[in-house]
Amino acid sequence: MKLDSKVPSGPLEDKWSKHLKDIKLVAPNNKRNHDIIVVGTGLAGGSAAASLAELGYNVKSFCIQDSARRAHSIAAQGGINAAKNYPNDGDTIWRLFYDTIKGGDYRSRESNTYRLAQISNEIIDQAVAQGVPFAREYGGLLANRSFGGAQVSRTFYARGQTGQQLLLGAYQAMMRQVHEGNIEMHTRHEMLDLVVAGGKARGIVTRDLVSGEIRRWMADAVVLASGGYGNAFYLSTNAKNSNVTAAWRCHKRGAGFANPCYVQIHPTCIPVSGDYQSKLTLMSESLRNDGRVWVPEKKGDDRHPNDIPEEDRYYYLEEKYPAFGNLVPRDVASRNAKIVCDEGMGVGPTGRAVYLDFADAIERDGRKTISEKYGNLFEMYENITGDNPYEEPMRIFPAVHYTMGGLWVDYNLMSNIPGLFVAGEANFSDHGANRLGASALMQGLSDGYFIIPYTIGNYIADADIDEIDTGHEAFDEAAENAQQHIDKLLSVKGDKSVIDFHRELGQIMWDKVGISRSEEGLKQAIREIRALRKEFWENVRVPGEASNFNKYLEFAGRVADFLELGELMAEDALHRDESAGCHLRKEHQTEEGEALRNDEEYAYVAAWEFKGVNGELQEKLHKENLEFEFVELKQRSYK
Amino acid sequence: MASFLQALKSQVGRKILTGVTGVGLIIFIIFHLATNLQVFGDVHAFNEAAYALESMGWLLYILEAGLAVAFLLHAYVGISIWWRRRKARPRGYEKYQSKGGPSHVTWASKSMIFTGIVLLVFLIIHLDTFKFADPGTVILPGGGEARDLKALMLATFQQPIYAFGYTAVMILLGFHLGHGFWSAFTSLTMKHNRYSALIYAAGIVFALLMAVGFLFIPLYIYFGGGCEAALIQCQ
Amino acid sequence: MADTFTIHLKIWRQDGPDKPGKLVDYTLDNVNEHMSFLEMLDVLNEQIVAEGREEPVEFDYDCREGICGSCNLMINGRAHGPKAMTCTCQLHMRNYSDGDTIVIEPFRAKGFPVIKDLIVDRSAFDRIIEAGGYVSVKTGSAPDANSIPVDKSVADTAFDYATCIGCGACVAACPNSSASLFTGAKLAHLNRLPQGEPERKRRTVAMVEQMDKEGFGDCSNYAECEAVCPKGISISAIAEMRRNYVKAALAGDEV
Repeated sequence: MKLDSKVPSGPLEDKWSKHLKDIKLVAPNNKRNHDIIVVGTGLAGGSAAASLAELGYNVKSFCIQDSARRAHSIAAQGGINAAKNYPNDGDTIWRLFYDTIKGGDYRSRESNTYRLAQISNEIIDQAVAQGVPFAREYGGLLANRSFGGAQVSRTFYARGQTGQQLLLGAYQAMMRQVHEGNIEMHTRHEMLDLVVAGGKARGIVTRDLVSGEIRRWMADAVVLASGGYGNAFYLSTNAKNSNVTAAWRCHKRGAGFANPCYVQIHPTCIPVSGDYQSKLTLMSESLRNDGRVWVPEKKGDDRHPNDIPEEDRYYYLEEKYPAFGNLVPRDVASRNAKIVCDEGMGVGPTGRAVYLDFADAIERDGRKTISEKYGNLFEMYENITGDNPYEEPMRIFPAVHYTMGGLWVDYNLMSNIPGLFVAGEANFSDHGANRLGASALMQGLSDGYFIIPYTIGNYIADADIDEIDTGHEAFDEAAENAQQHIDKLLSVKGDKSVIDFHRELGQIMWDKVGISRSEEGLKQAIREIRALRKEFWENVRVPGEASNFNKYLEFAGRVADFLELGELMAEDALHRDESAGCHLRKEHQTEEGEALRNDEEYAYVAAWEFKGVNGELQEKLHKENLEFEFVELKQRSYK
Repeated sequence: MASFLQALKSQVGRKILTGVTGVGLIIFIIFHLATNLQVFGDVHAFNEAAYALESMGWLLYILEAGLAVAFLLHAYVGISIWWRRRKARPRGYEKYQSKGGPSHVTWASKSMIFTGIVLLVFLIIHLDTFKFADPGTVILPGGGEARDLKALMLATFQQPIYAFGYTAVMILLGFHLGHGFWSAFTSLTMKHNRYSALIYAAGIVFALLMAVGFLFIPLYIYFGGGCEAALIQCQ
Repeated sequence: MADTFTIHLKIWRQDGPDKPGKLVDYTLDNVNEHMSFLEMLDVLNEQIVAEGREEPVEFDYDCREGICGSCNLMINGRAHGPKAMTCTCQLHMRNYSDGDTIVIEPFRAKGFPVIKDLIVDRSAFDRIIEAGGYVSVKTGSAPDANSIPVDKSVADTAFDYATCIGCGACVAACPNSSASLFTGAKLAHLNRLPQGEPERKRRTVAMVEQMDKEGFGDCSNYAECEAVCPKGISISAIAEMRRNYVKAALAGDEV
């Protein structure tokens, strides 16, 4: 596996424009002779499919949901960043770039991150033109807010449903192209394998989730935009159907998997209430603007929170981080919640929660003001927990939210398999070891609207693409492979449920590959995952049949892949013997308990090459060194 | 123009037609009730009003034709909507209930097809009873020989089958109007969140007024004993 | 700890689109008040799988936080269950008590054919959007986002209509199986914005016609759709759709 980032030379600001100048174009009347497969219809996949179809390519789009509009991008609440500087508060492309790369703890490529900041403004223009109803000021111009501790107001938002509105914009653009006949839409189709023929990605194999039929699809290039892998933890803020299967099967076909250990854990989620729990609900980060985080100072204090006097409360964020207080970055807030709970100060029936208290804010600003700001969140909380946050503190706990790692891509967003492009959360590219709030939407749309449509043309114009058809042996092999995997799952006929395996994997991941990690824990996690995987293939029970709608079968396939990915995540976390961003190794902390990087030895992207799985997962590490020409590496401090 | 006709056949067009014809019929029944109430006026008031209408000549025919068209269209569209509704859900729910709140799913709204068909049948009987009957004539004080509809009305409503039959139908008319009035506003695109509740309430009040106004006459005549009744003057 | 209680379920089981279906009785003894409705069904499925006598109940879901629009159950005759402004996935078992019987059916309409058990095909909604539910703006051709000011109240109202999650509850609950609220909501979102104005007439006519073609019933202004809409979208959208449709038809443009 060769990692060539293909970053253009020259000054940071000029790299993208220079690249655009240099890339080759496909003649307009020739574009319709090229098929492109896009897997996933979230912000990245939807925007890529729409834009490629507008250019004239024949696009085949696939999603596992019953409609392209349901991709999980729809659930993003907060907003989308752009360096428009409409509020005149001194924002620039450089500043957005710098915040992003610093927030990622200097583990992303300068060139990619800078390009993201450059493109951010065009995304807002595009979305507004599509009719995305962003929040506006009385003067009729767009409103901005500060988000996630940023020192400028650069976040555009549509109430708490920005992801939904942006996704619908992309979905509508897609539907327009479906209407024009440029996109062939295939819903309820799950990609089960990548077809690599003549060293190039030439197609995919899918399972029609309604009929169970294994189908082959050919193209000149494949865009993978299948999202992140947070569901390896079983409980996360991801949608239930979010999975790693498409990306993992590409990995098994030779695509490098980069930085799998970088997982963002969001501090403000509703805690787990019992083992039947199927997912975790995120509460907007904005709550920390007014809520105060605390736990009882005495371990096992089971008094009602309202009966615990001020002197018995431990406002741990305010005490440890006087400058930022409750507004410390996501990873710091999450880690500290875990620390106090591990020390036995956690609250609620499970002891895995901390209080987020609005009593002071309500007393200061009045119930009306607080309700105007957070009314819908308070209602959501009450609806889920049955408790009223106006009367007693909320209980919150961190939850897995976003995965910064993903398939390795070069500057063109192409993986190391020629013709396989990877966009959005599925790639590793822009966020380093930690993603800033309101940056995920920006990256997905930047990849799909403004990068892939150009770089794919460059690939197609240049690539020598053989004439083959879906009867090619590579298709036969991939289709058989997919079928065998399904048959194998159904043939085990054991007596343990798919969900039980997934839950157990999640527990291992959360305990040992979660908020804080140690060498010993990670080694143990690897052993446990291997044992669980072995047990899975001996004892899983998958009901029903392959030739029908069968959600248990779908999940079984996904859990099987998570059981392999989980090991790689632990392996990656173990090898990265430093702390960086969301990856905190207990062995590497500053005196204040912050992530301590080791730039000498670990300023690289870890891209793993699949070598096989046989009891143990065999992966070979490749390194892409990160060179920082334009920024100076600093230690983060929120004291 | 062809395209406009095409548009009328669409879902929206059908509903607009229902609304427009519905409003026409609403105007008609207001006039009708106003005319009927003349029975409580001067001895000849009712027959004079009828005579005045009949003296309009060709204008009346146009109005009647318009009314007939409105009525038939209203019925036709109503039945076609019901027909499409059956096709749009070939298999019904084992259990169904309204969620309440802003919903106007009521007996009235769900039974528009039933109350509508009853009104259609009623109309035929009603026309036969009054419009195309020969009640004999009466000479009006102002000259002119009019049909003695007042006598016919008094005679008719002393028969229990007519008195109670009409009353029952007028109650159903009330229900039909109860949903119809509000619905016409929305169909004719006059729906605003702020006034919605007000329009709905106005519809109920209107329906109540019409139903009570119409059913009052047969019941009064039946129980009051026709010309013996205190409020009705006979010759 | 929270109490557990017993729930009786009557669930629509149907093997495939053209297969017959029926309500099947189940009993769950360990329902917890903090469970979501779908988690209760997960537990039921685990019980069914463990017993191994029949296949688990298929139902659609994804985000489980009320925004993707995947979940779609008719619960005791009401789309998304008893609570207003709530999706099935956000409904919690604390709304039920020990011994309750709950009837669960799929969203029924000709436009939403059953695929299996409680899963229906809602692709008709995609085709309605396909007919015109967009602004025709190519990637890259947009002017600066602030070049066209939009009255805040217009933008806010557009947002209210744009919150539609396309779940189909409006169709399911409508006595006529009309898709007018879904169609009207998208039209009300795009038609009132300056960006959507140039295509207003064409869009309205095209989407209304597609809605007709899909076999959805007429709107009789029941407003049941508004009552079951998890986002509380007002049927004023439907009145507005009619207004724009009539204007387009009267103008005779491209109808």
